[in-house]
Amino acid sequence: MTLTWTDWQAIAVPLVLAIGAVAVLLIDAFWRSATVQLRHTVVTLLTGAVILFGLVFVWAQRDDFKPAFCRPVVEGPAECSLVFEPLTAGLWGVLLIGGLGVVGLSAYRLLSADIPVGEYHFLLLSALVGATTLAGARDLATVVIGLEVVSLPSFALVALRRDRRGSEAALKAFLVSVLSTAVMLFGISYLYGVTGSLHLVTIANRLTGLDPDMKRVAFAAGLFVVVGFAFKIAAVPFHAWLPDTYVGAPVEVTAFLAVVSKSAGVAGLLVLVVTGIAPDGSDLRLVIAILAAVTMTVGNLAALRQREAVRLLAWSSIGQVGFLLAPLAVGDAQAVVGYLAAYVIVTLGAFGAVAVVQRHRPAGLLSDYRGMVRSEPGLAVALIFFLVVLAGLPPGLAGLFTKFAAFQAVIDGHLGWLAIVMAVNVMIGLAVYLRWVAELFLLPADDPFSVDIETPAVVMVSLFTAAAVVVSVLPSTLFALAT
Amino acid sequence: MNAILLGILALPMLAALALWALPITLGDRLAALYGAVVSGLVLVGSVLLWQRTEGWFAYSELQPVQQLGPNARPLDAVTDVPWIPPLNVRFHIGVDSISVPLIILTALLTFLCCIYSLKITPRIGRMRSLIALLLVIEAGVIGAFSAMDLVLFFVCFEIVLIPMWLIIDIWGDDHDPAGRKRAATTFVLMTVFGSALMLLGFLLVYRQAGTFDLVQLTNSPVLGGHGIPLVAALLVAVGLAVKVPLWPLHIWLPDAHAKAPTVGSVILAGILLKLGTYGLIRILVPVLPDATVTIAPYLGGFSTVAIIAGSLACLGQTDLKRLIAYSSVGHMGFVGLGIASLSDAGMKGALFANIAHGIITGLLFFVAGAIKDRHDTSDLRTIGRALYARLPRIGALLTFACLASLGLPGLAGFWGEMLVLLGAYDPSAALPQATFRVFMVVAGLGTVLTAAYFLRLIRNLCQGDPAENPASAFAVDLSRIELITWSPLVVLTVLLGVWPGLLLHQWGIL
Repeated sequence: MTLTWTDWQAIAVPLVLAIGAVAVLLIDAFWRSATVQLRHTVVTLLTGAVILFGLVFVWAQRDDFKPAFCRPVVEGPAECSLVFEPLTAGLWGVLLIGGLGVVGLSAYRLLSADIPVGEYHFLLLSALVGATTLAGARDLATVVIGLEVVSLPSFALVALRRDRRGSEAALKAFLVSVLSTAVMLFGISYLYGVTGSLHLVTIANRLTGLDPDMKRVAFAAGLFVVVGFAFKIAAVPFHAWLPDTYVGAPVEVTAFLAVVSKSAGVAGLLVLVVTGIAPDGSDLRLVIAILAAVTMTVGNLAALRQREAVRLLAWSSIGQVGFLLAPLAVGDAQAVVGYLAAYVIVTLGAFGAVAVVQRHRPAGLLSDYRGMVRSEPGLAVALIFFLVVLAGLPPGLAGLFTKFAAFQAVIDGHLGWLAIVMAVNVMIGLAVYLRWVAELFLLPADDPFSVDIETPAVVMVSLFTAAAVVVSVLPSTLFALAT
Repeated sequence: MNAILLGILALPMLAALALWALPITLGDRLAALYGAVVSGLVLVGSVLLWQRTEGWFAYSELQPVQQLGPNARPLDAVTDVPWIPPLNVRFHIGVDSISVPLIILTALLTFLCCIYSLKITPRIGRMRSLIALLLVIEAGVIGAFSAMDLVLFFVCFEIVLIPMWLIIDIWGDDHDPAGRKRAATTFVLMTVFGSALMLLGFLLVYRQAGTFDLVQLTNSPVLGGHGIPLVAALLVAVGLAVKVPLWPLHIWLPDAHAKAPTVGSVILAGILLKLGTYGLIRILVPVLPDATVTIAPYLGGFSTVAIIAGSLACLGQTDLKRLIAYSSVGHMGFVGLGIASLSDAGMKGALFANIAHGIITGLLFFVAGAIKDRHDTSDLRTIGRALYARLPRIGALLTFACLASLGLPGLAGFWGEMLVLLGAYDPSAALPQATFRVFMVVAGLGTVLTAAYFLRLIRNLCQGDPAENPASAFAVDLSRIELITWSPLVVLTVLLGVWPGLLLHQWGIL
């Protein structure tokens, strides 16, 4: 038994989230005397409070360094399994904001749907526990555990809608998740075999000293790990499951998949790239760069052809992942976290707006949005703003500057060809979102969308809009998350 | 001074937001009046920025002007605050003798468009949004003309895209919804691609120099004519050339102009194209001087091809607005050639032609829009001939604008092109002299072609037997609002024609 030490503050957030998850489940199960309405409110508030605690904690401790589950090593730095450092703070901030947003979105749709409130919030919080663990993980075992704890609740959430589409979507997500875990474990076992350690710091140290033959094995092992993550974040060519799953799930769960689940995958990959298996100049980074180029191109091109709002968002989220992978391929954590933050906020907003429209027009076609700028100006303006941020054009300065940072990272990393591919994709991406914006602006329509929007929806969409405006006016806040 | 500049940047932007906040029931005329008042204030502010300063390529904020020698160009109305520290981006604006005339041109054309919209509106209405978008474009363009930070320039450059896309897509030619949608999308996508390439160039500059600040970059430019600086210069030049537009990147332009509403065409041709040439003069030449020398012959070559190709395309046009659009390609070719010559005369010619083109083509598109409104088509064959008999005043104004545009001495169009030819005759010593002499000769032929197609236009449209081309029932001649809107442009055309020194002295002594 080796001596280990832990700064318990480092795991305070995942711990509190886990306790919250259990508490939510218990309240829902044992407090049967209360009305559904009341239970829903209490559960939502409790979930929100737990996540808010996490955010406050992250904000208060953002400059600190707190290791957990560490043990000394004879030579070299201590090996820790979980570390809270500024990068972790940035990723946790993004993940928690995403979780809070999903909770907010769920507040105005769930009651009418036939979905158990307690389980839903339990699964959400559990996934957040996994996501935060993954973002702080510094050894491969913790990475796998974190990833599994994100994934298992994810397809349970997808399956909450008990119809044929929901089951199919859940099954797809499940199979892909299992497959990706298998592939990743295979890679990890080789990495362990080559380096004799699971700790990222040690692996990084030993990788540099390998002889060429073993280097090739290590490259293959790293490739398997990257492919495992590529399934998770739906990078092309491992993306086929995503559009059907997104469409099959309830909109809030889709938002969860697009925001929390995807961010967790990106966070895990980022941790691996910057701390361990893909040091500067390795072939793995080139693989990620190629993955980025293919992902953004295929995602955007496919999005161009979509006629349903959610499918368009699904494909364009693949394109956005491509843009996220680009700075990741050069290990620029600041650009990745900034991009992720902007993406999370506006994706939540876009799904929030889509949820409002889809509630009344279940078909969810783009043409359902025609003329909304006149018939439903508030919602239309908010949606246009989110889309423009996703496209990265003024007035959506948050999107523009995060894309800018991605470009800068790629240029500084001497990947000129990737920068050109990105430039082409800025153009294609703009074409994707402008199709939607054009529908919103078109006048006249026979039957433009116009309803009394529920107050919680108004509040949430306004909040997302306000957040998007703030990060557009002060883009430096996005990059302050991980310095 | 800097309060004025900040004011004319913020006022149109805030006014546009306020306009959208007003109720939809706001009348079209009231919206136009609101726009006219706001843009009128901006015009007054921009004129106040005008001062008599002389100088060329060197800025100074830290040192007194005298220490930089005769080539110093002081910067006025400076505001310089950090904006995004993690990316090293600053909000740095200021104006000098190059930007002020362009800012005034922007303010003037926007003001005239708003005045014009008081009476003459696109059929679809929705003036509230149209005016608001015009104001947003105005703010964006003024921002680009005063930006002293590469990233800020890029942002302002992009601000105008979506508003212009909407203007073409919504208020464009109502006979051809599919066509106007395609035109708008082509415009916005090509420009975005160009600006993304330009951004790559900026980032390469940043990697070399470690700053986005134009003043610092101008005072200590990125030297070297090969390798990274050359790639950066190519990216910046191509990105801006899409906007200029330089042949063969001009393919978005004819459709965009032909389908845009009158005010859209005026803004697009009169102001937005200038962003490209301004960027070339402000950024490419001073920041990447050696690399510019390397690519200047190619820039000059493509510009010369643009002059000829634009003129030949004009000879084949049967659509009035497309013809004027193609003539812009030719005129902007002259501007490009002047910049490529890298000589004092060529640069001044380019700057002068820039302004002159904005005024004259603005007038041309106004007149063309008036003719199109009266005949409900801009097809020359359908409009018929004998405009002198049917619409004598409008016909006369069209002739005046055509003559100014073809470079008749005594009108504004002449001086710019003459100086450009002079510059091409005697280019910077670092450039191949013989090549530029050839360009000069070919460009000289281009002026002849320009004269040919404009005279052919006048002959085919204005002259002819009135008996064969009876007047349309509703075709009234020049209305009062048109007179009011166009007369400043006519006056300026004559004024700059007889007194070019008004602008040329701004830029130093020849």
